[in-house]
Amino acid sequence: MSTTDAVVDTRRGVDPYKIGRGGYGGGGRATGHGEGGPASKSVIVGYGFWLFLLSDIVLFSCLFAAHAVQRNATAGGPTGPELFDPSSIALETTALLLSSFTCGMAAVATGVRNQLWTQIFLLITGLFGAAFLVLEARDFTAMIERGASPQVSGYWSSFFAVVGCHGLHVTAGLLWLGTMIAQIYVKGFRPNILRRILCFNLFWHVLDIIWVALFTIVYLIGEGR
Amino acid sequence: MRLLGKLTWAAIPWNQPIPLIAGAAVIVVILMVLAWVIVRGHLPYLWREWITSVDHKRIGVMYTLLGLAMLLRGFIDAIMMRSQQALAFRAPGYLPPEHFDQVFSAHGTIMIFFAAMPLMIGLMNFAVPLQLGVRDVAFPTLNSTSFWLTATGALLVNISLVIGEFARTGWLPYPPLSETTYLPGVGVDYYIWSLQISGVGTLLTGINFVTTILKIRAPGMSYLRMPMFCWTALAANLLIIAAFPVLTATLAMLALDRYLGFHFFTNSGGGNMMMFINLIWAWGHPEVYILVLPAFGIFSEVISTFSGKPLFGYRSMVAATLFICLVSFMVWLHHFFTMGAGGDVNAVFGIATSIIAVGTGVKIYNWMFTMYGGRIRYATPMLWAVGFMVTFIIGGMTGVLLAVPPADFQLHNSLFLVAHFHNVIIGGVLFGAFAGITYWFPKAFGFKLHEGWGKAAFWFAIVGFYVTFVPLYVAGILGMTRRLQHYDVAEWRPWVLAAGVGIIVLFVSMVCQIIQLVVSIRHRDALRDETGDPWNGRSLEWATASPPPAFNFAVLPNVQGGEPYWHVKQHAVAAGQLAAEPDYQPIEMPRNSPTGFITAFFTTITGFSLIWHIWWMVGLGIAAAYGVFVWFAWRDIAEYEIPVEEVARLDRERRRARQEWLDAHAREIA
Amino acid sequence: MTDHGDSDDVIPGLIETGPYSVWEKVEVYVLGLVLAALLTIAAFYVVHTHLIWGPAIPMALAVLAIAQIGVHLVFFLHITTAPDNTNNVLALAFGVLIVTLIIGGSLWIMGHLDDRLMLMGQVVGQSTR
Repeated sequence: MSTTDAVVDTRRGVDPYKIGRGGYGGGGRATGHGEGGPASKSVIVGYGFWLFLLSDIVLFSCLFAAHAVQRNATAGGPTGPELFDPSSIALETTALLLSSFTCGMAAVATGVRNQLWTQIFLLITGLFGAAFLVLEARDFTAMIERGASPQVSGYWSSFFAVVGCHGLHVTAGLLWLGTMIAQIYVKGFRPNILRRILCFNLFWHVLDIIWVALFTIVYLIGEGR
Repeated sequence: MRLLGKLTWAAIPWNQPIPLIAGAAVIVVILMVLAWVIVRGHLPYLWREWITSVDHKRIGVMYTLLGLAMLLRGFIDAIMMRSQQALAFRAPGYLPPEHFDQVFSAHGTIMIFFAAMPLMIGLMNFAVPLQLGVRDVAFPTLNSTSFWLTATGALLVNISLVIGEFARTGWLPYPPLSETTYLPGVGVDYYIWSLQISGVGTLLTGINFVTTILKIRAPGMSYLRMPMFCWTALAANLLIIAAFPVLTATLAMLALDRYLGFHFFTNSGGGNMMMFINLIWAWGHPEVYILVLPAFGIFSEVISTFSGKPLFGYRSMVAATLFICLVSFMVWLHHFFTMGAGGDVNAVFGIATSIIAVGTGVKIYNWMFTMYGGRIRYATPMLWAVGFMVTFIIGGMTGVLLAVPPADFQLHNSLFLVAHFHNVIIGGVLFGAFAGITYWFPKAFGFKLHEGWGKAAFWFAIVGFYVTFVPLYVAGILGMTRRLQHYDVAEWRPWVLAAGVGIIVLFVSMVCQIIQLVVSIRHRDALRDETGDPWNGRSLEWATASPPPAFNFAVLPNVQGGEPYWHVKQHAVAAGQLAAEPDYQPIEMPRNSPTGFITAFFTTITGFSLIWHIWWMVGLGIAAAYGVFVWFAWRDIAEYEIPVEEVARLDRERRRARQEWLDAHAREIA
Repeated sequence: MTDHGDSDDVIPGLIETGPYSVWEKVEVYVLGLVLAALLTIAAFYVVHTHLIWGPAIPMALAVLAIAQIGVHLVFFLHITTAPDNTNNVLALAFGVLIVTLIIGGSLWIMGHLDDRLMLMGQVVGQSTR
């Protein structure tokens, strides 16, 4: 990854928004006019993956919409707040938030090309992620045993779909993380590996963003009512 | 649990002659073609140059071929529907209801997902990087994967003809009919998995093209110097990114209902059937703009080229395109005005629907003003363009009529609606596809398509379209609903018969297209495009040779203004010679890869086994697909280098051909 | 694909390169963690105590969630308003618009449909079983 990708330094008071330069439609290197030719590979890959993540967010929004529409569709069966375990949800939230933090630490370590610390932090990220999944699986099992399976009502169908989809993404992320750890170990910090680490970072942080929306809407607002 | 899930020999339609014979015929043809390819030794070439290709030009051609093949299959379904209805006045016709239901469902599904989408995506694939003055899209291997996943979806739908059945729900599987309570067979499952798989491919295309258009352009090509086709491609691909996840989510929910007994859309247990319709149309409306926006872009290119003038009102076109892109996500309720949302909701969406027509209106006026005062050449692409303008205006007007909720209450799900959407899709998307194919064919293959047969195809198409669909407008107003396997209202009969005649005219048009292709190939030397600029074009793709070398441009062009190639050409014509030879460098290009093909292969297996509940095969397929992906991700060498001598040789050939043309036409120009 | 070009774009998610030490970069993440943790604790607190008036709880939770998502975007994903981030912000804004249309539109439409279903004594979304 080329660290010479020049980034406009906003701290030094240089004209960052190109206000004083260039005319309409021909402002040279002005932001958003895109006249510099093809962007670097890292920018291309990062932007493309960012777009993919936004599409994933749209996917989640449909599942959220379904759950919101079916928020009362319990068909005479058990409701959410009856069966949610707030301490478990709090633990899961903590695990995921910490994993986001350690993922950031791994990114910093990557920035200085430190194999050891990158791997350590990635491993810890994975452990926190696995802890999240274990807690969530435990929750699901408990709820199903107490009569709240997805086949019982629309409410539970949409609940398991939206929370389960997030869990599936975390699982896929852990698979990816494992592959990344192996690749970094075997191949080192080559440009394409660096781009993949960047993508993994984006993915993992967005998963935590979705979890924020999840625990707020599904768990807390449900309980609040 | 049985080894092959629900799959038994009874899945083959032994007692239904039509699918049996049709399926057998197709299988025989496929085997014959395969045999010919293998015996003649073409397989290594095909594998190396096409199947594993990551070149956007090759992928574009393959998409287009897939689209044309599926257009044929969908058209056959249309012939069956029209002929059945023509015969079935107070009579049973020849298609039993459960078969007729599959025919109209397959017709719609195939036409939208496997004909129209691949045609538009194919043309975008081929032309956008060339127009942007760059070497390829952002993610070439992903591009190949997208194509093969789409092909997988098409394959699965076609397999349903001979193994099992297809959905009987129409092209959108409304619950509760699509739930296992009423349709427990494999039909809806074929539909679901075929679309989920190709939907992933399409989403990846969307990401690929938005990244390409926003991040990979020739130096100096600012946003407002991009050709109009690239703007409409950008808008369409933004819509793909925004809308296709909705399709994926909604079909996933339906699959969960069917496979695991969830209650998203069921009739009981808290299910909400209307939520399916709401969500599916939140995808469905942007989808039709995904289809038509690239067509609008093609027409912008064609009209300006064949009028010999720059596009009129470029900036208002850009604004109109982005306006359409944005508003297309705010009108989806107009597909279900009658579902009972109430006057205020209906009014808001009805007004929004009428407003979106303004964007298209701006475009139509700009195209008209582009033609005005120009030296118009009525080559085949221009005929399609003018035919489009007339036809699409009518279709759009009937659309605005339907946008009025009280009117829609009368016309919803009637043949009026059917005529409207065929009007805009055929007039817009299909005519656009044919215009684009005829326009860019010489660039792709090095020789033009035969003009005479092309014009014949156009005239039969436009006449056939009106003869088929105007009667359907009338029948719709007279109260005939869609999807009728038989009817007994005498008032409708003459119109249905007229539509039956129209389909014959369309059939003749199709025959003309096939003849055009055969004749063009036979006479390709006479139709050769020597210079690479057969139409006196204005955008960068015409600066390359026909067909372009793998790297497109020996040196990325330095863009100084809009219509960069036109200005370069005028300089060269004025000076009587080309600009100085550039400084050639070796060029790095992405390596071909079998990843896309192999991933799609395993995905086909996964899809088929999901449909037939062969669970062990599902696991195997997913594991294999993941394994292929990891194996691909482990490769060390992603690119190969084209040596500078090769680059120079190819580019000098191109320059020589153009210099020859300049010399030959020196007196005419002067 | 050349590796030079428009230098005015930043890779989304990349913490700014430049003369920042490792500890300065770590600071950014630590700050993000602390803020996010505080907002999370606040959200749980709001639900389990009577600090906020009952009917206002969903709104309070929404505000806290949006704030925390903002913290994630800025401190973990480094999406800022710097001019080199414009493309990334625009893409995000487009995504947010679509999400709003889908969730808001669906709630509005489906709510109306339920209202007009006019079943006797029925609550939104519940079946007749």
